Amino acid sequence: MIQDLLYSSPSLANFGIFFLLATVFLFVILGFVTYAILAERKVMGFMQLRHGPNQVGGRWGLLQTVADVLKLLLKEDTIPKLADRPLFILAPAIAFAPAFMVVATIPFTDSLQFADIGVGLLYYIAVSGLTTIGIVTGSWASNNKYSLLGGMRAAAQMISYEIPLVMSVLGIILLSGSLNLNEIVEAQKDGWFIILQPIAFIVFLIASVAELNRAPFDLPEAESELVAGFHVEYSGFRWAFFMLAEYVYFFAMASLITVLFLGGWLPLPFLGFIPGAVWFALKFSVVVFLLIWFRVTFPRVRADQLMEFGWKVLLPVALANIFLTALLKELLNAF
Amino acid sequence: MLSGEFIAFIALALAAIMGGVLLLNLTKVVHMVVAIVFTFVSIAGIYVLLSAEFLAAVQILIYSGAITIIMLFGIMLTKHNDESEAKGIGWRKVFMFLGVLAFGAAVYIGIYDLDFASEPSELHVKNTEQIGLALYSDYIIPFELTSVVLLVALVGAIILARKDDGGKGEDKK
Repeated sequence: MIQDLLYSSPSLANFGIFFLLATVFLFVILGFVTYAILAERKVMGFMQLRHGPNQVGGRWGLLQTVADVLKLLLKEDTIPKLADRPLFILAPAIAFAPAFMVVATIPFTDSLQFADIGVGLLYYIAVSGLTTIGIVTGSWASNNKYSLLGGMRAAAQMISYEIPLVMSVLGIILLSGSLNLNEIVEAQKDGWFIILQPIAFIVFLIASVAELNRAPFDLPEAESELVAGFHVEYSGFRWAFFMLAEYVYFFAMASLITVLFLGGWLPLPFLGFIPGAVWFALKFSVVVFLLIWFRVTFPRVRADQLMEFGWKVLLPVALANIFLTALLKELLNAF
Repeated sequence: MLSGEFIAFIALALAAIMGGVLLLNLTKVVHMVVAIVFTFVSIAGIYVLLSAEFLAAVQILIYSGAITIIMLFGIMLTKHNDESEAKGIGWRKVFMFLGVLAFGAAVYIGIYDLDFASEPSELHVKNTEQIGLALYSDYIIPFELTSVVLLVALVGAIILARKDDGGKGEDKK
């Protein structure tokens, strides 16, 4: 349905349909974020032998996040007197807008995708880099040393880990011969890339956790060192926007890992009668759980360890993977 | 005439030019950097309109990192409330304005009647693949030379920034 819409001629009605779809999608993502936060708190609670939220909304705390969001919206919106006012207001928007832009390109099933871009993978990585500008802007505009340190760390981390992230997917691009996410999924009919590219998967997983600024790489908002990191001075819905951007990226990155390595909507053999959307949701949930598991399990790394690990371990491993993949591909083609 | 593409072009072009003008007129370094972001992203949007989607993605990929670095330099090398004051004397501004006018006229005359002999317009089909093929077959030597030049610049930067282990670092300027 959406494919037909994408190729139809532009008109005001089309604009309206797209606007409506985007709004619906935004609410779907907001729903995901609401329950991802709850799931994260519950899983963390169980892993740490606690209960997690269990008061608001029944014994599973189903309305806990809703109540939290309501609280955030009702909070006083404080802007420090010495902050740089225009940038302080602009920064959360710069941080959030790319987060929502990247999810447009992710194919959820073979028919449900908002933008079938030829260079979809590159688009995702490129646009997601813009968020860091919002973070650095906000951290500078707050006029606070802790937030500035957090912003600096965010920038350094983004630059260092974007390179292994891109390098690790090059192996996949070599094998599938395309940057288009649909074609990458189609190329996994014979075997998911997690099996064909295990090294790339590990490098990508580590680099993506670092790009998401989640533990063990949550240095930009390390509570024990930087109070709250780049959003120390933010409160109310502006703070909520930063958090929202973070969780939308969580959604987008889990979807991207599903698409790149776990075969997207493709079923396991002999289980083709289950619809693709269910498969996508299942794989997606596994990735989300894995990322939450990481957060509970690993201690935070130090800033210098982070840089060393990125440049001295991940980057060479990713480069070696490209070399190995190209070599294997040529050898297999030769025989 | 008023097609969707035209509206998109006007919006993007306006944003790009506004970013450029703001870059010149704002007084704080970080504000200027945010203004450049708008210019670069709008230019990437114009690339998309020209169906050069690979170029657009690379534009954003490269510049989002580059701008973040520029912003960090701006933050680290200037004071928080440092503002550049407008300087210049009356007659100088007049000459500058005349120069800008002349440049604008020259570009306008140059571009208005520009007619590329209409090449086979299959450029937008698989343009990523076409760029790759062109780079690695016809232009392989310039491409490799560029990477060597970049590597030299990288090594040079490291040598310039490296502290001497033996010296106190005070003889460095």
